[in-house]
Amino acid sequence: MRESRLAMFLLVLPALAVVLALFVYPLAMSVVSSVTDKTGATTLDNFAKAWELYREDVIFTLLIVCVSTAFIGALSAGIGGYLVLGESRRAIAALRWLYRWPLFIPFIVAAQCMRTFLAKNGLMNNAFDTIGLIDVQNAVGFLDWRGIIVTFVWKQTPFVALIVAGAMASLDRSTIEAARNLGASRIRILLEIVLPQVSSAMIVGLTLSFVTMLSVLSVPIMISGGAPTMITVDMAFRINAYSDYGVANALGLISYAMTAIAAWVYLRSNAAKRGMA
Amino acid sequence: MRSVLSTILRGSGLGAVAFVVFGPITNLALWAFAVQWYFPYKLPVVWGFKYWYEVFKPRSDAWESLTTSVLIALFTVAACLVLAVPAGYAIARGRLPWRGGILLAFLLPQAIPSIAVYFNVARIFYGVGLNGTIAGVVLVHTVHGLVFAVWIAAAAFAAVDRELELAARNVGASALRSFLTVTLPLAAPGIMASAIFVFLESLDEFTGTYFVGVPDVTTLPLLMFTASVAGNYQIAAITALILLVPSVGFMLFIERFLKADVLAKVGG
Amino acid sequence: MRRSVLLSAAIALAAVLAASPGHAQRKITLNVVTAGDQNMVDYVKDYLAPIFEKDHPDVTVKSVGTGPGDAGSQKIYEKLVAEKGNAEWDIDVAVIHQKAAGQMVAEGLLAAYVKDVATGKLVHSPAASNSLGANVAGYVIPMFNSQTAIAYNSQLVKDPPGTYADLVKWVDANPKKFGYNGIKGGMSGVSFVVGWIYAYTPDAEKLMKGPYDPNLKGSWDAAFASLKAFNQKVVLTPGNAGTLDMLGRGEIEMGPVWVDMFYTWQADGKLPPSVKLKLIGPGMPGQPMYYTVPAKAANMKLAEQFIELATSPKVQAEGIVKRFNWYPGIDATEVKSQLDDATWNKLFVDVTPQDLQTKGKTFPIAPYFNDILEGYEKKVQ
Repeated sequence: MRESRLAMFLLVLPALAVVLALFVYPLAMSVVSSVTDKTGATTLDNFAKAWELYREDVIFTLLIVCVSTAFIGALSAGIGGYLVLGESRRAIAALRWLYRWPLFIPFIVAAQCMRTFLAKNGLMNNAFDTIGLIDVQNAVGFLDWRGIIVTFVWKQTPFVALIVAGAMASLDRSTIEAARNLGASRIRILLEIVLPQVSSAMIVGLTLSFVTMLSVLSVPIMISGGAPTMITVDMAFRINAYSDYGVANALGLISYAMTAIAAWVYLRSNAAKRGMA
Repeated sequence: MRSVLSTILRGSGLGAVAFVVFGPITNLALWAFAVQWYFPYKLPVVWGFKYWYEVFKPRSDAWESLTTSVLIALFTVAACLVLAVPAGYAIARGRLPWRGGILLAFLLPQAIPSIAVYFNVARIFYGVGLNGTIAGVVLVHTVHGLVFAVWIAAAAFAAVDRELELAARNVGASALRSFLTVTLPLAAPGIMASAIFVFLESLDEFTGTYFVGVPDVTTLPLLMFTASVAGNYQIAAITALILLVPSVGFMLFIERFLKADVLAKVGG
Repeated sequence: MRRSVLLSAAIALAAVLAASPGHAQRKITLNVVTAGDQNMVDYVKDYLAPIFEKDHPDVTVKSVGTGPGDAGSQKIYEKLVAEKGNAEWDIDVAVIHQKAAGQMVAEGLLAAYVKDVATGKLVHSPAASNSLGANVAGYVIPMFNSQTAIAYNSQLVKDPPGTYADLVKWVDANPKKFGYNGIKGGMSGVSFVVGWIYAYTPDAEKLMKGPYDPNLKGSWDAAFASLKAFNQKVVLTPGNAGTLDMLGRGEIEMGPVWVDMFYTWQADGKLPPSVKLKLIGPGMPGQPMYYTVPAKAANMKLAEQFIELATSPKVQAEGIVKRFNWYPGIDATEVKSQLDDATWNKLFVDVTPQDLQTKGKTFPIAPYFNDILEGYEKKVQ
């Protein structure tokens, strides 16, 4: 009564065909287009032009995404850690209720929120001004690459924190209790006992976030006015203003390369984990 | 003494978190009810519902965008379910040829930044006349949604005990019948969850629609984007609030059912 | 249980389909596509469409925008090129920028409709036949004329600069208080850059009238270098609306804007009343937007009637000048007679007719225009 392999394959085929036709094929097209010039000849000119015009943006994109990922990792470790190691039941419940809200807010809505929140005379600075922390005349607007980082961290931390907190919650508490009884500080327990055990969940979350952030168009367009900005904005500009698929796809390839770095980190950590286990 | 200090620390820490989480959202709410707001005023100069009328009046773009968005999302869910249910079943149950390659193919859209893929898809669609059509946008959303739908469906089917299926087959039910009467109902909660997820993702999707739909198909996120870029923050804020309703509703609904340890199994 | 779920889903779907507009098969849809900011799309949707539909009860006007700047016109161009082989095209009226108009006439994408329209005789400006050096006579009627100027907050800037050179000095003394959008996202930034080149080259007239000399772009290196230094001390905004928005929220004190957008924003309460305009020397460009009819438009006759309505003196007076603060596209004499003096003079409060005569420039001819944009991308960005 074993279903035939052919029957199983036929069941998968429609979905597979859609993904192949509408993702893998355009992906291949984009690779080909990036090394083709307007006459159809193979060339590296597109990459040269992309580098010449947008190299600052490429570096900034990598910087923005890496810094965001680092912050997301630190904050989600902190949130997860507090949920597992915290002492006040009410604070834990409050935090658990609070931190999840940005999770269900789409990127474009988050960008709109931040655009007026982080402005020089936006709500954040005005709130600080009202409680006397700063003077709004000298306030700094965050509507540039820093605003992009803030938005990404705001939106993605709950996602990674959810995964990490879940992993932490299912840990065996005996090691934690033992360490507490020996008098270890909670920070030390977090860093030396809890985090290493949830590292694979953390890395999965961070890798997914890394890839997602490289693909977002709405946030950089709405938050950051000019250079430097993320290469997603430059890709859209090349297509809309000049129909220049060559350079836009060259930039796309650069973003694939960045993802490959993240993938390499993920695979290495997985292999290390298998090696350890 | 120490407990007072730590209570204060805890309180201010939570206060800071609340500010960070709700500050931007509050800002959105303020803009939704502002009629005139300019520098140097910290709060709107004139409050009112003027822009709510603008957004909800009969001839407005918002109604059309809302209808378009919902229509596209419904079609996307339908397409995803039709494709993902058999695929998920096959992945969970059967022995597939090229299993590794197939799994990789379903993982790709999540593993590669998709923006470059979107504008190349738009180029393909130009050639076949699908650009700027609802069908084209549904296709783009479907690919994006398939990733989640297939994996969640596979997980849902994997969780169904094979013994139950075999029992049904043993009493003479055909493969299809046992699937429809035994397996599918048991996997239904997971599949429902994936359907809702795909619906929300489609409703909120921006980048793909930006390349494939413009200028004929306007979804709610595109409307919000246009309003925001044109400096029309009131309309952008109101549209954003409309977009938030299904998302937040889903979140509150799921708060009751989502167990953190389920998510711990992700990627483990 | 499953069946009832399916049934309710089907009913819901049917209800949504029935309620969604655009399913009125009995009416003809006139597709008006506009490359421009939201105010231009709204002009068709909120003002022109109801008037036209009242006279033509069997027609629905669909107003779509493709975005501001030349990028918006580029989208329309691409759409027409993609449909070239079809018997009928799905754009009936296209409102486009000058650069795209020249290109589309040259490639035969537009219909020479002006002779079939009564109001065609009411336009005598050079812009109606010359689009950045290309001959477009008979293919276009200007929708409006617009002008850029520097908007400044008069409460914070007591003595606004009068020339580009003065502006540079002001920015040196007040860093990060001036903002513009570069060349992306809108034409106000583009016109600022063009004005910069006009200010720093010896022969601005040649750039505007031709002939084209490909070697001229080499002489702009010093101008681009100083613009690059200038950019370090200014804020880069997201676009036309971005500059106005930052002015309105006090994040910048000065920036280039379209005069019409400026007045509309002020009327809507998005700009404080203290913000005023100044047209700085030696000049800043303005541009007309053109009404065009694609060569194979599905509803050619209706499109011509639509444009005839839009360029009639009454609509130009009420809509273009009074409601939306643009300078008229047809001859000013025809329009001025339809308005009272107060309304007419409202257009010229900060930017007087003399200012327009001496400092209102046109954009350079297309090849120079492209050179300037490319030079900016290479040497300034």
